[in-house]
Amino acid sequence: MATAVRYRVAVPVGPGRLPAAQARSCHSLTVRARGPVAPATVAGVHLWHEPVPTASDTPLALARREAEAGRPLSPSGPPVRAVLLRYADGQSDLVLVARRAALNEEELRRLAAFLLEGTGLEPRIPAPGARPTYPAGARPEAEWGLGDPSRAGLAGTVAVELKEPEPSDATLLAAVGLVLARYSAGECTAVAVFDMASADAGPLVRSVAPDGTLTADAYVAEWAAGDGDEVTAPGPVPAVGVVFGELHPGADHRPFLAPALPLVLHWRRAADGTTDGVLAYDEGDVAPEIARGFAAHVAHVADQLTAGQDRTLADIDLMSASDALAIVASGVTPPAAGPDTSHRTVHGLFEDTARRQPDAVAVVDGDTTLTYAQLDERADRLARGLRVLGATPGDLVGVALDRTAELIVTLLGVLKAGCVYVPMDIRYPEERLRYTVGNAGTRIVIGSADTFPAIEDVRVAAPADLIALAARTSDELPPLAENAAAAAYVIYTSGSTGRPKGVAVPHRNVAALIAATREDFALGDTDVWTFFHSSAFDFSVWEIWGCLLTGGELVVVPYWVTRDTELFYELLVDRGVTVLNQTPSAFAQLIEADGRLRSPLALRLVVFGGEPLDVGMLTPWFARHSHTRVRLSNMFGITETTVHVTEQTVTPADVAVKGRSVGRAMPGWSVSVRDTEGRVLPPGAPGEIYVGGTGVAQGYLHQPELTSERFIEDPYGGGRVYRSGDRGRLRPDGRLDHLGRLDNQVKIRGHRIELDEIRNVLLSHPEVTGAAVVLRQETPGDNATARIDAYVALSGPGVAAADLLSHASGVLPDYMMPATLTPVEAIPLTINGKVDTAALPAPTARETPAPAARPADTSETPAPADPLAADILALWSQVLGTDVGPGDNFFELGGNSLLVIRLLREMRDRGLPRVATQDFYRNSVAAQFIQFVGGGKG
Amino acid sequence: MQLKGKTAVITGAARGLGRACATRFAEEGADLVLLDIGQDLDGVPYPLGSGGQLEHTVDLCRAHGAAVLAVTADVRRSAECETAIGQALDRFGSVQVLVNGAGIAAPSGKAVHEITEDEWDLMIDTDLSGAWRMTKAVSAHMVARNEGSIINVASTAGLVGYRHFAGYVAAKHGLIGLTKAAALDYAPHRVRVNALCPGSVRDDPLVEGRMLAEIARSLDVAVEEHEQIFVQAQPMNRLIEPEDIAGAALWLAGDDSRQVTGSTITVDGGFTAR
Repeated sequence: MATAVRYRVAVPVGPGRLPAAQARSCHSLTVRARGPVAPATVAGVHLWHEPVPTASDTPLALARREAEAGRPLSPSGPPVRAVLLRYADGQSDLVLVARRAALNEEELRRLAAFLLEGTGLEPRIPAPGARPTYPAGARPEAEWGLGDPSRAGLAGTVAVELKEPEPSDATLLAAVGLVLARYSAGECTAVAVFDMASADAGPLVRSVAPDGTLTADAYVAEWAAGDGDEVTAPGPVPAVGVVFGELHPGADHRPFLAPALPLVLHWRRAADGTTDGVLAYDEGDVAPEIARGFAAHVAHVADQLTAGQDRTLADIDLMSASDALAIVASGVTPPAAGPDTSHRTVHGLFEDTARRQPDAVAVVDGDTTLTYAQLDERADRLARGLRVLGATPGDLVGVALDRTAELIVTLLGVLKAGCVYVPMDIRYPEERLRYTVGNAGTRIVIGSADTFPAIEDVRVAAPADLIALAARTSDELPPLAENAAAAAYVIYTSGSTGRPKGVAVPHRNVAALIAATREDFALGDTDVWTFFHSSAFDFSVWEIWGCLLTGGELVVVPYWVTRDTELFYELLVDRGVTVLNQTPSAFAQLIEADGRLRSPLALRLVVFGGEPLDVGMLTPWFARHSHTRVRLSNMFGITETTVHVTEQTVTPADVAVKGRSVGRAMPGWSVSVRDTEGRVLPPGAPGEIYVGGTGVAQGYLHQPELTSERFIEDPYGGGRVYRSGDRGRLRPDGRLDHLGRLDNQVKIRGHRIELDEIRNVLLSHPEVTGAAVVLRQETPGDNATARIDAYVALSGPGVAAADLLSHASGVLPDYMMPATLTPVEAIPLTINGKVDTAALPAPTARETPAPAARPADTSETPAPADPLAADILALWSQVLGTDVGPGDNFFELGGNSLLVIRLLREMRDRGLPRVATQDFYRNSVAAQFIQFVGGGKG
Repeated sequence: MQLKGKTAVITGAARGLGRACATRFAEEGADLVLLDIGQDLDGVPYPLGSGGQLEHTVDLCRAHGAAVLAVTADVRRSAECETAIGQALDRFGSVQVLVNGAGIAAPSGKAVHEITEDEWDLMIDTDLSGAWRMTKAVSAHMVARNEGSIINVASTAGLVGYRHFAGYVAAKHGLIGLTKAAALDYAPHRVRVNALCPGSVRDDPLVEGRMLAEIARSLDVAVEEHEQIFVQAQPMNRLIEPEDIAGAALWLAGDDSRQVTGSTITVDGGFTAR
């Protein structure tokens, strides 16, 4: 069932933007004069004669016409301007520009006719009148627009070409609404309809929530119905406006000289019913490619709504199949040139390297050093030992070892035995270890029997035991054919809900990961990598095999060093590490250490993974390190698609523009963004990120249902694709913006809130070295009690919470402001180096004091007839954005200290009594407050 | 097209540097409001910009595709300055650039004590107060829009003294002072005010310049002799061309100079570097 909403809005032009305001308040009409012109005179209209020294059809003449028809009026001048362009070939154009509030389109047409032909009555021109006022307020934003703020105020236009003739106005409106619904995952269908006949009343906003079961006919009927209905409560100003006009031969009407909203679509109907559209957009809000796409999608949808009214909305496509395929193709990066490794295994590729450089150092672990030949030989022995123990190819073998050289030997040995390694972090709770072993069905765990929980039918063997076992047999390992399609490892990801899932990743995926990056990152035998991350976190797959399959030296970072930034920094310096992989949270701490210790680093490549990167945190790094010497590479990745998906090299320029892009898909990988129905979304529109290509894993171990739900056969012909559950949008150039987890999106009182965004804003404060933001519900399960708690690690003690909050309030809308802000020593990280929200303390620094109790006796409630009470209640409603009754508590309705300040300022501005902040806190129930203000003084 | 979408008001546009700026601005996409006095003045010993000369400048600009409004106005009259700006706003909706080019070089050629009260007043009223009146007329509009560039055509006589030109030198020094003060007044509103100091500019027949001739006449020397003196005095050993000044004005008018205000741009072949 569709629900239709209608209300009027004042389109804000924003404060301090007079040039744009002038252009948005004017419209123009250009009329070609027939024959010689002897213009009539009209009182109040000065006709400016402008000879143009070329013929009327030259580019210069066209440019002159365009300039005149787009030239706004001065706010202090007359309400209409008339310019007669006289060309050298005897032709003339009359260009009228008027303030819409003074003369509407029809009046302009009559004025033109009278001026040129003397027909009709002499039009009355209103007196210049007072300086027009422009409504102020925040301009609506098209989240999918990807505009360039530096081009704000520049207008672009694009034609909307319909194939089906004579669509109804309701169809055209419905088409825009449906496109908006698809662009915004069904959340926004509101369209502002400008009525040129009563332009000063503000557009009427219409919104119809589409329902997939509706037929196109019924949907269009919803949009057509109810003209003249009472308007409902005012809602937000939409980003898209529509104007319906007529197309007259020899005349061109422009409803706005600059789009009054980020996009304004002007439908023009000719006398024969054919209709064309012109989409005007502000380049500050909308990128030209996005605007072209939007225009094409509106046309495509309008044609379908006209042609097939019995179709359901679900059958209506946003774009043609070929356009959809072109968008899918824009997210595909072809595999890198180089030898085909799709038939290779991880250990096979390692053995190649070991043969090539047997004496090169492969692994350094404290005083222990293993060459490639030694590592190969020890792993062979361990593999034989595994066989002796009864492991057969394809078996899943648990590995529960701390980060040591022995762990590398073990992982390689498991692979050499033809088995699949299942890494488990020894610091995981026993319950989780048991679950992993049970779920994977491993019979052998390589680890320490002293520390690993005893599990029935599971044999725990130390690496040394296996090597000793191998000594008992003289049998060489039977040669195994390389099976690239077999799983190399199964890594358990916790996910945000449910139990951990084992992701089975084949050998060839790892081979593809190396092939995708080897050349671009110039990985080779002079590189020194760190093995920093838990083997149970797939970032380590990249660290270990990225290094060992390209001939590098892998420096094992002991656990305690990973927890001590200074020790780790010293290790980087001492070992001459060149390739470093870090989560942004961990690197933030390293930047801080680097700023203090300032030792020479040999780094040439830093790869970020595991978490979204806020590029703002890199400012101090770039102040010390040139991006041409140390490449910083932000890689968005998912365990299910083999560690990485996209790559974006980050430069200081990205920091300056606060770039959110995670880059293009790696060679061999692909990304696309799709809606909840799996339909491809155009560039700009946010949706779920789908990943395809050579990195897609086999699936979840022993979870066929979940596997078939998340790993699907791409209806767009992209092979198997993985539905990531991450929210993103594709940019027109094929790069991806990562917008957080779909399930990390929360709604508080109707506003969609992205916690990562709040975190990034806090991180952008120069004194904040770390931040975490969590959503908590006072009453679990009750979203009305939802509250945002923020945590910050500060570089010094001198930063007041108020400063930070005022910094945040400069960027964030009020509904995204944290309710609490708690300073912590450091942001706790999980074993994987990601923010550990579970380890955050309860918020200590409540920004707002606990709300005062409601007055028990509601008979004190002032009578609503009291004008002061009515004023104050109205003001509270305005500030809080919700209805307020006398018994309501300000803070329970979402009020916070900033809103208190705003409220008290508003009261002062309106001549209401001044109230001290502390008095407000003592009287935070509306009735109490009214009584206090009314003279009772609490 | 450095000035596309901008409207420039230029005083003294009938000929000389005013015309050079107008045609250069038109080439760069500006629309123009061109002012000149259109009559001769008692006390000025040479003919001033005529209506015909102004029309010629208008035609040159239209040929470049500019929309042009020509206004006859005397910068010594506040009401005429205000009317001109009012017409400019009615016609074009906004004004982004003002070039105060109107000025007189004579009456000159006298020592300080020989200058009469009327001669002094005429010089100050035209060369200094004229620029102030035009600035006053347009600045509120520019402030409201948070954009604008005002270019005062001063002179090297605003930087150093010249014998027997006390009135002119005082007016041009005053114009630089006005420039700096106005720059401070309007800087918060992103309206920029700068002065341009040409050295000795060749009397180019294309722009019907006659400044050098009038100065020579004031000093009672032959034009060729006067030119020779300045060719030697300007270290680059050549006279300044009108297009050199128009180029500097274009830079000050456009967005490339967006952080430049209160400055004095000297285009004098090195004359004042000594």
